Amino acid sequence: MSRTGFMEHPREPRHKRPVVARVGDYREVYISHPLTTLRTQAARCMDCAVPFCHQGCPLGNLIPEWNELVHDGEWEQAITRLHLTNNFPEFTGTLCPAPCEPACVLAINSDAVTIKDIELSIIDRAFEEGWVRAQPPGSRTGKRVAVVGSGPAGLAAAQQLNRAGHRVTVYEKADRAGGLLRYGIPDFKMEKHRLERRLALLEAEGIVFECNYEIGRTISAEELRRSFDAVMLCVGAERGRDVHTPGRSLPGVHLAMDYLVQQNRRVTGEAVPAAGAISAAGRRVVIIGGGDTAADCLGNAHREGCASVEVLSVYPEPPQTRPAGNPWPEWPLVLQTYPAHEEGGRRQYGVMVTGFQGSERVETIETVECEVHRAGSRRDFTPRPGSEGLMPADLVLLAIGFDGVASASLVESLGARLTDSGAIAVDADFCAAPGVFASGDATRGASLIVWAIAEGRQAAAACDRYLAALPKS
Amino acid sequence: MSLATSLGAGGNLLEQGPAQAKRLEVPTPILSNADLETIRHVTQRQFPAVTISTTFHSDGGVRALEEGLERICRLASEKIREGYTVLVLSDRHVDANHAPIPALLATAAVHHHLVREHTRSGVGMVIETGEAREVMHIALLVGFGAETVNPYLALETVAELLRRGLLPAGTDLARAKERYIHALYKGVRKVISKMGISTIDSYSGAQIFEAVGLAPELINRYFPGTSSRLGGIGLDVVAEETLMRHRMAFPERSVDPVSLAGGGDYQWRRDGEAHAWNPTTISLLQHAVRGGGPQSYEAFAAEVNDESRTLKTLRGLFDIKGDREPVPLDEVEPATEIVHRFCTGAMSFGAISKEMHETLAIAMNRLGAKSNTGEGGEDPERYVVDANGDNRRSAIKQVASGRFGVTANYLVNADELQIKIAQGAKPGEGGQLPGNKVDEVIARLRYSTPGVGLISPPPHHDIYSIEDLAQLIHDLKMANPEARISVKLVSEVGVGTVAAGVAKARAEHIVIAGYDGGTGASPLSSVKHAGVPWELGLSETQQVLVAQGLRSRVVLQVDGQLKTGRDVLVGAMLGADEFGFSTAPLIASGCVMMRVCHLNTCPVGIATHDPELRKRFAGTPEHVIAFMLFLAEDVRERMAGLGFRRFEELIGRSDLLQPRTDIEHWKARLLDLSALLHRTDAAPEETHHTLSQEHHLEDVLDQRLIELATPALERGDPVRLKLRVRNVDRTVGGMLSGAVARRYGEHGLPDDTIRIDLHGSAGGSFGAWLAPGITLSLRGEANDYVGKGLSGGRLIVSSPPNVSRAAEDNVVIGNVALYGATSGELFVNGVAGERFGVRNSGAVAIVEGVGDHACEYMTGGRVVILGRCGRNLAAGMSGGVAYVVDMDGRLHEHFNLAMVGLEELDGEDAQFLHDVITRHREYTGSLLASRMLQDWKASLGGFVKVMPNELRRVLSLKARLDVPA
Ligand SMILES: Cc1cc2nc3c(=O)[nH]c(=O)nc-3n(C[C@H](O)[C@H](O)[C@H](O)COP(=O)(O)OP(=O)(O)OC[C@H]3O[C@@H](n4cnc5c(N)ncnc54)[C@H](O)[C@@H]3O)c2cc1C
Ligand code: SF4
Ligand code: SF4
Repeated sequence: MSRTGFMEHPREPRHKRPVVARVGDYREVYISHPLTTLRTQAARCMDCAVPFCHQGCPLGNLIPEWNELVHDGEWEQAITRLHLTNNFPEFTGTLCPAPCEPACVLAINSDAVTIKDIELSIIDRAFEEGWVRAQPPGSRTGKRVAVVGSGPAGLAAAQQLNRAGHRVTVYEKADRAGGLLRYGIPDFKMEKHRLERRLALLEAEGIVFECNYEIGRTISAEELRRSFDAVMLCVGAERGRDVHTPGRSLPGVHLAMDYLVQQNRRVTGEAVPAAGAISAAGRRVVIIGGGDTAADCLGNAHREGCASVEVLSVYPEPPQTRPAGNPWPEWPLVLQTYPAHEEGGRRQYGVMVTGFQGSERVETIETVECEVHRAGSRRDFTPRPGSEGLMPADLVLLAIGFDGVASASLVESLGARLTDSGAIAVDADFCAAPGVFASGDATRGASLIVWAIAEGRQAAAACDRYLAALPKS
Repeated sequence: MSLATSLGAGGNLLEQGPAQAKRLEVPTPILSNADLETIRHVTQRQFPAVTISTTFHSDGGVRALEEGLERICRLASEKIREGYTVLVLSDRHVDANHAPIPALLATAAVHHHLVREHTRSGVGMVIETGEAREVMHIALLVGFGAETVNPYLALETVAELLRRGLLPAGTDLARAKERYIHALYKGVRKVISKMGISTIDSYSGAQIFEAVGLAPELINRYFPGTSSRLGGIGLDVVAEETLMRHRMAFPERSVDPVSLAGGGDYQWRRDGEAHAWNPTTISLLQHAVRGGGPQSYEAFAAEVNDESRTLKTLRGLFDIKGDREPVPLDEVEPATEIVHRFCTGAMSFGAISKEMHETLAIAMNRLGAKSNTGEGGEDPERYVVDANGDNRRSAIKQVASGRFGVTANYLVNADELQIKIAQGAKPGEGGQLPGNKVDEVIARLRYSTPGVGLISPPPHHDIYSIEDLAQLIHDLKMANPEARISVKLVSEVGVGTVAAGVAKARAEHIVIAGYDGGTGASPLSSVKHAGVPWELGLSETQQVLVAQGLRSRVVLQVDGQLKTGRDVLVGAMLGADEFGFSTAPLIASGCVMMRVCHLNTCPVGIATHDPELRKRFAGTPEHVIAFMLFLAEDVRERMAGLGFRRFEELIGRSDLLQPRTDIEHWKARLLDLSALLHRTDAAPEETHHTLSQEHHLEDVLDQRLIELATPALERGDPVRLKLRVRNVDRTVGGMLSGAVARRYGEHGLPDDTIRIDLHGSAGGSFGAWLAPGITLSLRGEANDYVGKGLSGGRLIVSSPPNVSRAAEDNVVIGNVALYGATSGELFVNGVAGERFGVRNSGAVAIVEGVGDHACEYMTGGRVVILGRCGRNLAAGMSGGVAYVVDMDGRLHEHFNLAMVGLEELDGEDAQFLHDVITRHREYTGSLLASRMLQDWKASLGGFVKVMPNELRRVLSLKARLDVPA
């Protein structure tokens, strides 16, 4: 392949639909590139002898290899190479923050290859061409594994274990499978049909899904353990972080996830009971928190037709360019701007919320400007006296992070334990207790889809080794 | 050079009869499937062939493998007795129950078995194997006894590539396979020629390999005569590895969809082969020198040193065990002194960009350490110190086989002159610079033509023996008595003996380069398979030099992927005084190991001359300095911990290195490191550099010349001298030229300022490096290497008056005249020996007859030959022009037309010839010249002009583009 493409073509990421058009619906924001553009974009890859992108990708995707295949028009080969390391490229291709890209060698002194776009185009093309087919295992081992949780970690682990020939049942407490892919992530980032298509394939491969089935309630964890040769816990990090600020209990102050789940149901056309419904329509919305969840709330609020949105973060505004001590190929600690930010709303930094006021519902919030001090790994916030203020608010969404696994008793009843930060403690083989494995947000704390898939795969491999060593049943 | 070989019964070497000639000639050692079938069936009657299956039972373990080997040897003997003359060893019959005997093992086992039985020459051996796919595989199979190889699986892979449409549209299968075979053919030819062997029959069974990591029992039984110094694995491990692969091919059940793993042999992959430079080590080092500080360096060093997991180097197999109490850090010699032992490696300006090259020079000069020009000259503007005090001059000037830009001025601007005998990453190969990297500046410094690729000849044409090397060392010492003379060798078995010779030839400094140094421009087969780790070569050299009492006279330097203080310490303990670093300082400057050094597309502006890409270079001298200082501090801290205050106390203390006892790796733990760690008893001052070499420069003839030429040297006044010269006077004019260059630089003195008339017999290297403004006129004769590195002076040699023969029949100068000449003139009234004008890149010469190989590898200048010519004229000539008188109308038979064409003379040529022949008559009194001038028209008609094709191509391109040439 021509390795001078980077000198000839500038980086051209996928285009976005215009803001006015996209806030009118919930469809995906990005539009696919035509094939010719994809090929020239792939031609920018230098096929590095030391591909830092491949190191930057938690899955170890063989990026230079499929870049070259795309450039050569070898799409079917490309999906084979891509599926080799990544079970669900359509999830990462749409949702991954792409740590591979800032690690790309081109990013040292120019613009990275559009790796994520190329990844998505490979899987999109593969589905169009019918190259992605269920791959049921050739033979069965007779071993049975229960996977608890159907987020990306659970799905990846289930697929790997099933392909190794084990009988896999996935238990999901929600009414439908997908984890945060279904009830967290909005359609404008990834439309649900991508998830449905993948779930159908998994079922076709022989994986059994049991929804509305909460382990620890529907059946006990001990019973589950007894009925299966191994258990894989992929229960996510669902414990939403809350505040204990005065006025927290006022109606109109909610955890972000409660809002996002409802929104996802509405968009899919499911009924949401009027009692307890959360809506941003016509309201002055304040979102507290500066991360991905906050951005997803922001995008939803605009699509619902809110009156205004303020996004408040206690942290100072991140710089536009890499700060000292954060060089290539590290993940850049700079201001991230998502499509949702382009759609409106105002971001404020260094602002702390000290109280919620209102009679029947929340009407106003109390704020104060603050400074951050690093104390070891902890950060302390000191309010700046005299900077107190009030801000009108009809809906407040708390998107300030997650505190680990929701149910400690589930974990403990399986003989496993939680770490101080609320994650399931595992060894290097993702083993939490004999025959009990865990992966994804449940072990990492709230993280990313790409990590969930990567860990799901690794944990599955370890679980497979465990099963292979068991006496033949 | 051809790789044709023949199969069939060889018969008795000493007889000569029709039976000997009855052989099946095979044009290449790589057979297509059709070729093999022809051998198997078509030629049956004359050359009966039989196939022996080389597989073993996959559930029988090492016993089955051993029995398999016995069985194929026994079968081979039987078949020979039955009258078969071609044996085909085949691993085609692999299946779920049968694993292949490794092809090399099968080949060597049968070969040696038949040699022992005295039946080997009765058969030809053909290896039909799925294993062989790379050049090295073929080379090994042939080197261990095979005549030809059929790499059937590789050929099937080619077909598969085509089927999947991965080859350019329109490729046809036969062509594709043919090309693959041809590529292997060329690769094997290159490998063989690197070893100085020119026919496949001499290579076949020659076993010029060194094994690393094979147990003596395995070697003695199947590969007898092969050197393997570290012991290692036996047949059981070979069996296990074979069976591991077999299980992968025939798994009980599969976890992943069937697609092969990335491998990562040539390019790093996360789950593939471990590489010392990987994203983690590269970025940690870059962070360290960009403000990350000692902590990042320590993280880097820890990552590199932590070989326990990865076992990438030999040094990772020892522990350092002190025998003293620790001393306080501040009592250890300072880092600023330790860095004087450091230098950067030979990377030419040409291979790396101007910015990178100068960054290294500035950094190393600031530290009082040394950078190296590499081969390819240096821009004289760099000899002037910058306004801010920075010095861009490389302290080490390399003298390689190409002699690009090696002038008197280049030599005097050096603290060390390094003769590159071989390069670690590609021993036996000359440097190569593709035409796309030869821009105006590089061409100017190398005295060549922009756009024309440059190839350094594999050997130094002035070194065929240790005496020749001593002569070159003397030549260099004459040009620059202050510089120390270094000789760079590559780590391989026997390097110790070579080093002893080099020390006796009065080199002052010896570099032992490990196999893993080198740029991304080196051929992959060399990167992967040539040379051995420096630990082996260094320890051998130290042991031999100490034993022979030579060690104290030389500085020993080691070079090859040194990265940390621990590496330096291990190097010192194995015998090194000094340390060379190449990749690490480049990484510090921003290199990300793209391995595209030869493509001119380096995205960080390091190995490129593209002006746009060079703008991306972001390295600074501070980065390099930071790395060197981190390294020196690392060394100091370790010295303090071990209780050493002075670095030299560590040198040669291999007793402080102990094989690790905690190695659990199933293969690594079998190694035996005692040969590596052996220490020869000697007084401490006998184990490192303490003495200087004796060069006897006080009473050379040039001392007198310099004294007598003082008015010219000091004031530029003309000087005329008349002296007698004897054949013990070597390198006459060399030291005088150094003196001129030192005072007057590149351009020297005005023409003829110093004119020296000599009579008698001159010793070797007469007129070497002769500087502008000096004319040496000799009546008499001169030895080999006349005008070596001629740098602008004028040399005249006329036949002595008392010889009876005509001058054009009288040999007056020896072989290899004008080697590496860059400018100046040579007039020879008589005949020269072989290789006249080899690697001339700018001198004008006229001679009345030459031996074989004249004008070889020439890249510039003009050579006029008035008389008889030997064979192989103008081989490898890519620049310059030769004018030759066609004495008998059969001159074309003498040419090597691979790279040149013959042309008609034009007006400019005629003018030039008339002028130079007139001057020849005037300077030498040549009778031939007068005769020619008397009937000039007729004489002119006798000339043929020899023009390199490359030069013609570039000139016509230029003419078309309307750029003044
Ligand atoms: C709003 C939001 C947006 C995000 N956006 C992105 C993004 O754009 N890109 C990105 O890479 N990452 C994003 N993330 C993070 C990403 O979604 C998670 O890291 C990822 O989903 C974790 O996967 P998981 O399989 O470990 O857990 P989850 O996806 O959380 O799945 C856990 C599943 O386990 C089920 N479960 C829990 N307990 C039980 C039980 N006892 N019995 C049965 N089932 C149980 C849960 O119902 C849930 O379905 C986002 C996260 C949030 C909250
Ligand atoms: S999964 Fe994420 S990090 Fe990996 S290649 Fe795709 S976009 Fe990059
Ligand atoms: S680092 Fe960038 S340029 Fe290099 S292989 Fe990866 S994507 Fe291609």
